[in-house]
Amino acid sequence: MVSTLGMALRYRPLTGVSSKVSKANALFNPEWTTVRFRYHADKVAKGPVPRRHGYEEKLFQGGLLPRTAFPDRALPIPTYKPKNSWNEKRALFGQNDYIDILGPSNEISQKPLHPTQLLYHVPPWLRGVQGNEYQVLLRRRKFVQKKGYALGHPTKWATLNTRIKKLYRYLNHKTKSPFWKDA
Amino acid sequence: MATKIINKTVTEFSLRITRCFFVPSKAIQTNAALFQERSETSITNVAEQLLPTIRPPLPIIYSRKLAFPPKFKAVRQAWVSNMDTVEEEKLGLIDLHPEVFAERPRVDIIHENVRWQQLYRHVSYANTKVKYEVRGGGRKPRPQKGSGRSRHGSIRSPIWRGGGIVHGPRSPTPYFYMLSFNARLNGLRSTLSAKLAQDDLHIVDSLDIPTDDPSYLEKLVEERGWGPAVLFVDDNDIMPLNITAASDVHGHYNLMPVYGLNVHSMLKHHTLVLTLAAVERIEERLLFHLNRNDAAEAGRKYKLDSL
Repeated sequence: MVSTLGMALRYRPLTGVSSKVSKANALFNPEWTTVRFRYHADKVAKGPVPRRHGYEEKLFQGGLLPRTAFPDRALPIPTYKPKNSWNEKRALFGQNDYIDILGPSNEISQKPLHPTQLLYHVPPWLRGVQGNEYQVLLRRRKFVQKKGYALGHPTKWATLNTRIKKLYRYLNHKTKSPFWKDA
Repeated sequence: MATKIINKTVTEFSLRITRCFFVPSKAIQTNAALFQERSETSITNVAEQLLPTIRPPLPIIYSRKLAFPPKFKAVRQAWVSNMDTVEEEKLGLIDLHPEVFAERPRVDIIHENVRWQQLYRHVSYANTKVKYEVRGGGRKPRPQKGSGRSRHGSIRSPIWRGGGIVHGPRSPTPYFYMLSFNARLNGLRSTLSAKLAQDDLHIVDSLDIPTDDPSYLEKLVEERGWGPAVLFVDDNDIMPLNITAASDVHGHYNLMPVYGLNVHSMLKHHTLVLTLAAVERIEERLLFHLNRNDAAEAGRKYKLDSL
């Protein structure tokens, strides 16, 4: 609905009037009354009304794209080399894991084997070890102190011992024992 | 697939009963000697001249005596093929024990086995330094009171930038655990059964091929419709020269002894090819473990430093 009524009437500005009496008259004067002359419908009719005032759109809306200083070359990116799923390590992964089942078990000439005995890539003191950090560190200290680790790596020896002490205190004074859930 | 084989062979038996001969299991190796009439000339690097294979009249039925004969399950049967020619020649038919090759495949057990294989050897070497391990940070940065700023004891406390990490990874972290003996045993049974049921398991008499040319193996696999990746399993860990040379070129043709067989490899390779000797060995091993009377001792939990 487009209204033309507002354009016919004159309206008196409230600012720029010096005397107090005139200002009082501007607030209330029986000779004239305020009439709505702006309608939201007119604004909508003119075009889409912007929503989310103050929001800054971060996506590219249009305009010139960024350009590099060198138009002939592509941007530097490492060349993609797909991994070789069939290299020796990957193709034969898991071999000999069932040696205690499929290998010799009761032959006199061949000793039965366990897969933990074949963990060649794991440090010898860590083969078949299952535990939290505290247990692992205790085992490491037991293995390492015989070989003069304290003389060869004094800082690491000190750090190892400090860590064990701290973990002892933390686990025994600050955390609940794992047996509590059974109590 | 297994039931179709049985029906087919019953009719064939009735027609060719005069030509077949009974071969006990122990004599399989001696029968292989019959095929070596062209022995010395076969293992040469002559790609073009493949001498024709000389065989006794087919089919040669290998009758296997099954250990621990099955009482409640039907025996499964499988063809025995050759590796001498590119085209498949069925040399005979053998029985397979259902407790090993016809166990209902348990997908959850197979998954457990694969997960165990991937994890039990994994050690994480990721490490972060705790506050007393980080270089520096021994002195109190400023007096407790007077400066107007917040109070601190060291510049390497976890709340500082560049300070220690409190609950970070600590090297080395082992992820070792042992799956129970029976879970692993059943994993092998389930995977072998699944492979047979899905036509991905083939049995050959031996892994002797006439040339060491890699293209021979490629053509053979292509002709027979075996998957892109093939795992050849034999009883002995020293394989014949020709197949070793031919499969060395391609990473997806792999040779393995029976003791190296595992669930992960069987699933990674599309096709599993077993020799007769390998089938004998696998059955003997798995049936031994299923029927042993000291199973409790074997299935005991793994104890550290007990081996």
